Amino acid sequence: MSTTIKATAAGAVLALTLSVAYADDSVPENTVRIGMYYVHYHSSADDISGPYVPTGLNLSVEDVETLYLAYVRRLSEHFDLELAAGWPPLTKTEGRGPATLGSVPYNGQVISTARWFAPTLLLNYKFFDDSHAWRPYVGVGVNYANFYDRRSTAAGNAASGGPTSISLPVSVGVAGTVGMAYHLKGPWSLFLSYSASVVKSKLTADTAGVERTTDISFGPRALVFAGGYSF
Amino acid sequence: MSGIRGPFYSAVAVILLTACGSNSTTSEVATSTARGTLIESPPLRIASLDAAAFTAQLSATATGQELLELAGTPTCGVDFYYVQYWTVGGANEAATATGALMVPTGTGASCSGPRPIVMYAHGTTTDKTFNIADITNTSNTQGALIAALFAAQGYIVVAPNYAGYDTSSLSYHPFLNGEQQSKDMIDALTAARTALPLTLAAATSDNGQLFITGYSEGGYVAMATHKALQIAGETVTASAPASGPYVLSAFFDAVFYGDVNIGSTEFTPLITTSYQRAYGNIYSATTDIYEPAYATGIDTLLPSTTPIDTLFEEGKLPETALFSSTPPVTGNAVLDAALAVPKNPIFALGFGASNLINNDYRLSYVLDAVAHPDGAAPVPQPGLPLPAGPTNTLRIAAGLNDMRSWAPHAPMLLCGGDQDPTVFFSLNTGTMQAFWAAAGVPAEVVTVLDVNAAVAPHDPFAAAKVGFQTTEAEILASQGQTAAVESYHATVLPFCIAAARGFFSQF
Repeated sequence: MSTTIKATAAGAVLALTLSVAYADDSVPENTVRIGMYYVHYHSSADDISGPYVPTGLNLSVEDVETLYLAYVRRLSEHFDLELAAGWPPLTKTEGRGPATLGSVPYNGQVISTARWFAPTLLLNYKFFDDSHAWRPYVGVGVNYANFYDRRSTAAGNAASGGPTSISLPVSVGVAGTVGMAYHLKGPWSLFLSYSASVVKSKLTADTAGVERTTDISFGPRALVFAGGYSF
Repeated sequence: MSGIRGPFYSAVAVILLTACGSNSTTSEVATSTARGTLIESPPLRIASLDAAAFTAQLSATATGQELLELAGTPTCGVDFYYVQYWTVGGANEAATATGALMVPTGTGASCSGPRPIVMYAHGTTTDKTFNIADITNTSNTQGALIAALFAAQGYIVVAPNYAGYDTSSLSYHPFLNGEQQSKDMIDALTAARTALPLTLAAATSDNGQLFITGYSEGGYVAMATHKALQIAGETVTASAPASGPYVLSAFFDAVFYGDVNIGSTEFTPLITTSYQRAYGNIYSATTDIYEPAYATGIDTLLPSTTPIDTLFEEGKLPETALFSSTPPVTGNAVLDAALAVPKNPIFALGFGASNLINNDYRLSYVLDAVAHPDGAAPVPQPGLPLPAGPTNTLRIAAGLNDMRSWAPHAPMLLCGGDQDPTVFFSLNTGTMQAFWAAAGVPAEVVTVLDVNAAVAPHDPFAAAKVGFQTTEAEILASQGQTAAVESYHATVLPFCIAAARGFFSQF
């Protein structure tokens, strides 16, 4: 774990410890949110390397939309701890490079898919006080991304040369957010936020024992629109 | 903390429940190490080219255009598969090896459904990383040749890299070991037949016809494979060994007498290592055969990941000097004349100051050849028999692997060029033809093609002859005699393999 992530995690724990003691009992301490994630991947990858791979073969990741779920614990008037996660979206990876590999279509073909289990723990600082309906906030935290149901598509198998397994190790990286909360009435609120996370992994495709690899940075940027219920 | 525990864990639990699921799998890896077992199933397809794309790729380079002219425009696409299989080494030890399976594709009638198989045995290479399946490698000229000549014309091609090359688990190459190399070919064929219905081109299947061809070392291997399959009672439709050293005993004797072939300093370490590993009695120490300057490490030198020119530059091998330019003197005038540096300038290239084989070993070999002469050389004897009772272990090993041990039942084309300075045509091809004639093999079974011979009326091999002779004349005119001689063996290759296709097409 990097020094930055360790410091962020330690800060979150310290803030939690300090602020629970001073939480105002008259304000609901828990909020659940539900809404939509609109995820744009600002991805970049090294060219794929390995046996029988021509130069200039690369990847990109298609944008996704998915359900946003979060639990928020009020720590104090100005601090919240947010555990956010999207309903694991099916993320599609496209080939980038030559139009064909031999006679096999490549550029623009969806060559693999994976679902992401990617919760993010954020310590948010809210501006203004509890009397304000509009409360902008900023947050910093840690993202954990686990990629599962990893599959090479038929197009991917054709490009790779046969049935292919995909390995994509877990990523842990820094996450940040800016957002705006609006208190509607009673326990109900609306939220709009924009988040960015560092999600890096090493993609390894194994076809008949031949491995091709690339280091990939997914660079997810997530726009969230959600409603919340506090209790 | 108690207030946070319930909802927090519930949220995590909801999310974790969604994180279950399997990942797609790759090929299965065989657990058996039995001969002919396909290791990765299905095999990797390295590349897939339809007929138009293959034509376009060949048209893009000058050598590709020459190949198109020789092979004709592809009528089928070709899928190139990388096959890994279990075989054995020279001492019958289990070993992995790799090779190519090239499958014709496309909608043409000759491109799918039941198709004939051609096995191709490649020529000698010192490059340990050699992989004939890797059509993405522009230096893989033999792979491109057989793809264009056979696969793109509707033949399924099986071409092993040989044990000891590419990712083979064998640490050496069983060079010119007829028993091992025929097993290697047959094991590659078995694995390829297993792989074929599992490929992405599964519409193409084996029609039961089996053709075998190969060049140089591969010519020898093709003949050894024909022999082994025939003995095993397996189908061989026809074969076409080309420019192979079939008559190993006589060929080695000729070299030790002084007719040193081009490439001998590369072939010799491959031979001694191969036979030492198989029989264990070629030498007690490498210095028994080799000069001290080269003896250390020569048993593991070839094949190598280091380019052969670099090995020459580093002094690991002499480029041409197999024997000393100061040959041994015995006092026997006839023998001393035989051991002297020959007047033939090509053979004389095999003599120098920094020679590979020491004089003592050369003399002991030649004395054994004098005492137990081969029936094919230097003086042909009736029936061209192998030597009787040789004592030199290298000569014994050569005799064990010499092809004067069988006669074909299925049709065979023996192709080569009569001026070949690397694998002597008359001594090898001519001897086999005469040996089989003397053994009563019907003349129609064995056809001999010398691509350097004059074109006869209605000559079925006119194209191969004209093509070779035109190319050789162009090299002579543009690069000179030395280049023409040095490249002669390689120049014959495509024309003999093209002739093999024509020969096979009649069955």
